[in-house]
Amino acid sequence: MLLNWLAKTVNIIDGNTEFTGKIISWFTLIMVLLTFAIVVLRYGFNLGWVAMQESVLYFHGLTFMLGAAYTLKDGGHVRVDIFYQRFSTKGKAVVNLLGAIFLLLPVCIFIFYISFDYVAIAWKIMEKSPEAGGLPLVYLSKSFILLFSISLSLQGIAEIFRNLSILLLNSSHVPPLNTEVK
Amino acid sequence: MEYLALLMFVVVCFVLLMGYPVALSLAGTALLFAAIGSSFGAFDFTFLGALPNRLFGIINNQTLLAVPLFVFMGAMLERSKIAENLLNAMSMLFGKYHGGLGISVILVGMLLAASTGIVGATVVTMGLLALPTMLKRGYDVKFSTGIICATGTLGQIIPPSIALVLLGDVLSSAYQKAQLDMGIFSPETVSVGDLFAGAVVPGLILVLLYMAYCIGLAIFKPSMVPCIEPEDIAEISAGKSKVQVVLGALIPPLLLMFTVLGSILFGFATPTEAAGVGAMGATLLALVQKQLTVAKLKAVMQSTLKITSMVFLILIGASLFSLVFRGFGGEELIKGLFEQMPGGVIGATLIVMLVIFLLGFILDFIEITFVVVPIVAPILLAMGLDPIWLGIMIAINLQTSFLTPPFGFALFYLRGVADKAVKTADIYRGVIPFIAMQVLLMLMLAIWPSLITWLPNFIYG
Repeated sequence: MLLNWLAKTVNIIDGNTEFTGKIISWFTLIMVLLTFAIVVLRYGFNLGWVAMQESVLYFHGLTFMLGAAYTLKDGGHVRVDIFYQRFSTKGKAVVNLLGAIFLLLPVCIFIFYISFDYVAIAWKIMEKSPEAGGLPLVYLSKSFILLFSISLSLQGIAEIFRNLSILLLNSSHVPPLNTEVK
Repeated sequence: MEYLALLMFVVVCFVLLMGYPVALSLAGTALLFAAIGSSFGAFDFTFLGALPNRLFGIINNQTLLAVPLFVFMGAMLERSKIAENLLNAMSMLFGKYHGGLGISVILVGMLLAASTGIVGATVVTMGLLALPTMLKRGYDVKFSTGIICATGTLGQIIPPSIALVLLGDVLSSAYQKAQLDMGIFSPETVSVGDLFAGAVVPGLILVLLYMAYCIGLAIFKPSMVPCIEPEDIAEISAGKSKVQVVLGALIPPLLLMFTVLGSILFGFATPTEAAGVGAMGATLLALVQKQLTVAKLKAVMQSTLKITSMVFLILIGASLFSLVFRGFGGEELIKGLFEQMPGGVIGATLIVMLVIFLLGFILDFIEITFVVVPIVAPILLAMGLDPIWLGIMIAINLQTSFLTPPFGFALFYLRGVADKAVKTADIYRGVIPFIAMQVLLMLMLAIWPSLITWLPNFIYG
């Protein structure tokens, strides 16, 4: 019963993260195309817009701030795996469970808490780029910090549930565990 | 209370060894220490008020924008068989000589390392690509594994290396800080381009040393590096003439690398712009060689997304860690230690290099660049070290660390993809000559620093 509920929640969050990840992975291609266009326009036609340059930074920021959760789900964040790789499946689950509870969640919650006012002020004044001709959307890019904390916390909760069910299950039938070699 | 900063460092090493992702271990442990410290008045939480602005600084950093673009370029070259074609082309040209395949592996590995800039990616690719071929052609196991590990780690220093982009960003702020501390209010700057230029000569020396070793073996122990049989060469070439192969497989990737690197070195383009052009060029190259499918493009994008997120999460974690470290007065502590160090700047540099070498056993260059370098670099630079020299020495030092048994990363990576018949002891023994060459290079650079500083001074004045 509990295991079912855990699995269901994990599936919902995983699905959500997977979907976001698939979408933002296209941003990397957009960044390449935009940067290439900027170079061609500047060196070929002597044209350049600050707004266009800044837009690449927005895609960039959104990519890695939202990508952190997707990368966590896929086990892409580097670990020091000298000992970790020798742990059993349950041993790894203990590390990941404790890590998510005592390291990941506090950090995400703290970053959300300490950045909230910072972002709120940017929204209140509808902060614009300090550059002439820049994008008037600085409040949006500052909000990426909050999006980062929320998405990573959500995925962190999924990791807690996933590893909890690994520990609760006695059979060898376990959901796939993050396996990333540093 | 400064000793809490040191205790935090020790605890974080322990937490890291448990194997939870590095970025979150750094940030989480620091936060825990901040909470404990503030509960008995040893830590002031207002220190962390600077965090949101730092995070926004990461989002808004134009230099670091080069990272996803270079990663994209590397992932594209890696997945589109360009490296494989390149290796085949080279073995066709040089295979008939003793050691020719070895030289080809060095050159292809160098190009691949330079483009991906990620140790793991290069070692794994070369391990899968070149190791079976080398063993099949009768190359010595120790030499084959050694050379693949060594060329794989070249990605640290051969520009356009991502390690140098990250180091350039960190060193430029460290250099500003050092000069402000010294009372210089119109500070000089150091850029990613400076580091790229500084890495050219040492990188070439290293590649030449590797090649000289290979040629030396061909002369004195030719049985270790046999030549490829003519019929095997015919098989590799699959009916294509030399001209076709050179034009098709050799020239385009070389042209791409030189365009990217040249435009940065000669100041035509910023590293970010060059990276964008390089990524676009790699994509077009894959398209022309009919290697680009939608599935491959998606794989490239996803691996770019993951590697970029991984790098930047470490940067986020490290910025929280270093704020707490500073809040505990850790920077003054380190500074005090350095000032008491016998031997002045030389003693301090030696200690820093030793610590970085040892940390290289458990941490990747990204963590070391973001956590250790911001703490030690301003102090060393204020003692009069040249920032470009320091950056290149750190990069080569880490590269050596990644090669050194039993903990070097490159060895783990190769072990992961090498055939079971290859003994771990052979891998360990195989890298020893290459470690010796690295150490030799570092000695040369320490004795003649102008090997590093000459080119940047020449180009940028």
